[in-house]
Amino acid sequence: MASVSVIEAGRVAPRRASVLRKLRGGLQGSEYAWAIAFCIPYIGVFIAFVVFPVFYGLWLGHQPSLYVELFNDPIYQQTVVNTILYLVIGVNVKMFLALLLSGFFMRRGWWVKGLLMIYVLPWAVPALPTFISIHWMLNTQWGLINNVLWDAFGIDGPGWLDTSRWLALGSVIVTYIWKNMPFWTVILLAGRMAIPQELYEAAEVDGATGIRRFVHVSLPLLANLYLVCTLLSTIFTLGDFNTAYFISGGGPALSTHVLATLGIRDAFEIARPQLGVAAVLSALPLMIPLVMLLMHKLRTSEVQL
Amino acid sequence: MIQLTRRSVLQRSLAVAAAGALARPYIANAAAKTATVWWTQGFVPEEDAAFKRIVDEYQKQSGNTIDYSLIPFAPLMQKIVSALTSGDVPDLVSHDINDQVVVPQNAWDDKVVEVSDVIDTQKDKYHPTVYLATQYYNNVTKKRGGYLIPFKTAVLPFHVWTPLVEKAGFKLSDAPKTWDAFWDFFKPMQPKLRETMRNVYAMGLQCTTTGPADGNNMFHHFLIANGGNGIVTKDGKPHLDDPQVKEAVIKSLTYITKAYKDGYVPSGALSWNDADDNNAFHSKLFVMDLDGTISTEVAIKDKEERAQVTTMSLPNKNDGTPMTAELGVGGAFIPKGAKSVDVAKEFMTYLIQPKVSNDFLKEGLGRWLPTMPSLVKDDPFWSADPQVKAYMTEGLLSDTVPNYPVFNPGYAEVNAQQIWGVAEADIIRNGVDPKTAAETALKKIETILAKYPIVQS
Amino acid sequence: MTAVTAGEIAPRRHPNYKLRRRLGEALALALGLVLVVWTLAPIYNMVMVALESHNDVFSTNVWPADPSPYSFWIVFTEGYWYLEYFWHQYANSIYIGFWTVFLTLGIGSMVSYSIGRMRIRHGWLLTNAALLTYLVPASFLAIPFYRMMQAYGLGNNVWSIIAVEVTFATPYAIFIFQQYGRSIPFELDEAARIDGASPIQVYFRIYLPLMAPALVAVGTYALLLAWNEYLYQFLLLSNKRSMTVPVALAQFLNSDESPWNYMMATAIVYAVPPVVIYYLFRGRMTAGLTMGGVKG
Repeated sequence: MASVSVIEAGRVAPRRASVLRKLRGGLQGSEYAWAIAFCIPYIGVFIAFVVFPVFYGLWLGHQPSLYVELFNDPIYQQTVVNTILYLVIGVNVKMFLALLLSGFFMRRGWWVKGLLMIYVLPWAVPALPTFISIHWMLNTQWGLINNVLWDAFGIDGPGWLDTSRWLALGSVIVTYIWKNMPFWTVILLAGRMAIPQELYEAAEVDGATGIRRFVHVSLPLLANLYLVCTLLSTIFTLGDFNTAYFISGGGPALSTHVLATLGIRDAFEIARPQLGVAAVLSALPLMIPLVMLLMHKLRTSEVQL
Repeated sequence: MIQLTRRSVLQRSLAVAAAGALARPYIANAAAKTATVWWTQGFVPEEDAAFKRIVDEYQKQSGNTIDYSLIPFAPLMQKIVSALTSGDVPDLVSHDINDQVVVPQNAWDDKVVEVSDVIDTQKDKYHPTVYLATQYYNNVTKKRGGYLIPFKTAVLPFHVWTPLVEKAGFKLSDAPKTWDAFWDFFKPMQPKLRETMRNVYAMGLQCTTTGPADGNNMFHHFLIANGGNGIVTKDGKPHLDDPQVKEAVIKSLTYITKAYKDGYVPSGALSWNDADDNNAFHSKLFVMDLDGTISTEVAIKDKEERAQVTTMSLPNKNDGTPMTAELGVGGAFIPKGAKSVDVAKEFMTYLIQPKVSNDFLKEGLGRWLPTMPSLVKDDPFWSADPQVKAYMTEGLLSDTVPNYPVFNPGYAEVNAQQIWGVAEADIIRNGVDPKTAAETALKKIETILAKYPIVQS
Repeated sequence: MTAVTAGEIAPRRHPNYKLRRRLGEALALALGLVLVVWTLAPIYNMVMVALESHNDVFSTNVWPADPSPYSFWIVFTEGYWYLEYFWHQYANSIYIGFWTVFLTLGIGSMVSYSIGRMRIRHGWLLTNAALLTYLVPASFLAIPFYRMMQAYGLGNNVWSIIAVEVTFATPYAIFIFQQYGRSIPFELDEAARIDGASPIQVYFRIYLPLMAPALVAVGTYALLLAWNEYLYQFLLLSNKRSMTVPVALAQFLNSDESPWNYMMATAIVYAVPPVVIYYLFRGRMTAGLTMGGVKG
């Protein structure tokens, strides 16, 4: 394209220009136009499909009387408790187990690799069929779990989803963990694999093995990743509709709703969309700090994901 | 090297940003000769086939086009709500429980087109209860008007597995003729059957908070059987303080919850939706239940097995007088803002003609009943099959009352909030006593109905 | 006691090292077994129900009594009326999955390129705005989306779903691309630029190829997101021709006839593509998620 000398000469100029660019922090001329062009698709998507619905949603749910009505409703109060339990227990147990299992999957051995392949299935298989399958497994009369209990131990299994709010909520949480733990395990596993081997070997020489090694080497390096994952997971879970809807359906007697499912119920089954939107917007006071924290974390630290 | 200019990239990126500009399923035709119709998908394929045939005939006859969507029961309700909220409405909407859930509140808010001109074409043929169910109160015009175009009806008959009754050593002909005693008749069958079957219950009482319809329908029949039919009267006025009504509520709640607590009802009943109880019936989880339409029978494809189900109309109320059944009236309405009102009206006028609607319902295997007594009396189809006959007798030849939301739209919200189901759940799960639960429920209803004062009826 | 062989310095071992090691292996195996049962139980249930005949579904069997692939035959031949348009709906799901992946990757990588490589000023604003998408999670925006899609003329159109999925997948994509992109040295870009390449050429010839593992990882994520979606597909698609398989599946739940075996067979057929794709791209995916270099 050009002779060597031009390249030589040319190299100096762009280098200076790029230095200048970095100093000025801006792109110039045609470059700038390209950069904008690259951004336009997403900006378009964002405006069309995020800004408008969010504002419309906020407008639908802006009357204070809705919130007064919500807070006085015992079902709503139960729902808030359920959502908090779901988040606190579900997310943390899941992430913790994912952390432990990510360590497990670092083991050597062909069967471990094979196991990992199977283990990831819940993430790969679509949610709807598996949730419906689990819902049936929990059926009191002919579900697989009670059948096994009867055949193997002769006990009449409890009504998992029928009678007790806590059993039903527990079932929802366990299903949630079943479905989502593999994904985060893989993420944490990737994080672990990025830790250089030398660090581990150095620790072994110093006499730290097993748990000691985990606490002193792995943990500090994974801490940031773990925190970001937990934040992200909490945000995703707050909006999770499918799990509660298909496993317990909010039953028994509307006692295991979470905010997402209650919102849909209020909007469509009671035919009061404003109330439904208000129910889910009431999670904003929790949501906003989480998202801000996440944004802060992502900006200030380099996290592998 | 790809030849890309900045301009082409900019253009392309803008095109991508406007992703919605791509393929559309049909060309939006603003001509007034097409009507968009949302119709409930049938519970059996024959219902859908019958509808398609009617549409074809109408299109041939009139030259208009009906752009219809057959949407399943639950999703359709959600779409209706979304559409009415957002203002983007089709021209005609039919849903099985329009009379209970959709039309009452939307007529109140003046969001439905008045259709007396269509209804009146068959006014003299309609059963009086059916005609009553077409009149809803409009809070803007402050009077009742015709807002629902009815073409089918349904009631709740009893469905009983005769083999199970016989296996327990009983005979259905011995069943008592009053309400509570009738239900009690099935209770001793359970221990007898449990001698050989592990999972079987006496009755499938739908004491559920899911729904949308079964839990409320079941409770209302208990209420009526105990003398509480005056809870909301034709003029739309609630009578929640009436001691007779209150007594009826307490008795009903007591009976239902006691049956559950005594173990005669499957534990999952607390969360049944409208299909779960039918599925449980098919799997012979219980001996009998009270459920709307004869879809449980119709769904049994095997003729022999179907014949094993006895469909029974209602016994008398507890005081010995004949029972009044709740008549569900299925129909269509035209939302305000529809673009092809005249085509929608014309189509419905066509459909509700006696012969057309009769054929339509017959092809749907008789799962829904006609709106006109003359049809069931004259057409032998409706008396041929014993199951259909019992169903038809209860629906069109006995005493019936429309669903309460027809009288007062606030009751639709009562139904939607599953207040009775919640009351039952409170008693069963939280140990509340029936009297307190009754009072709480009535109080809630009072609050809701107070929002819908009917000035003139 | 540990033996220290002459001349070698062996790492200090705990007494009974071999025993401990064997015990460790045994425990690991036990854990492995637990994991297998835990992971596969619901899937086993799906397969079992799919293979059972209609009446046996409600029985109390743990193993299928009389397994037969009849249900699968019904699915493949669309022999049941809920499955009338099964293949069409399947094609809809695939169509949605494909475009979701393509657009998410395209739009996401373009933005990341602009923000991360070209270092557009105030680029961080866009990244943060993207994260705001997750502020009001998907299930909350159902009615606004319905209204909006009608307004854009996308009612009952699969493109409305694609738009939704892309909207929710792209912020995550941008995030991953940003992170991954940090491991690609800027010198490469600059060298190309010096050679006279325009930004778009750098994008196609340098950025995208080097980002391949991240593209695969995000692509798989986007596909699974679209494939797992229920609520929006249910709300925005009304009739049998435009519906997708999850919506068709949920119809079975409202049926009086309860042909659960057909339903599970349908579900299994639906589950095959994402599983296959996941296993095909597994290797590249882990590469995309593992980055040498800077740690948190």
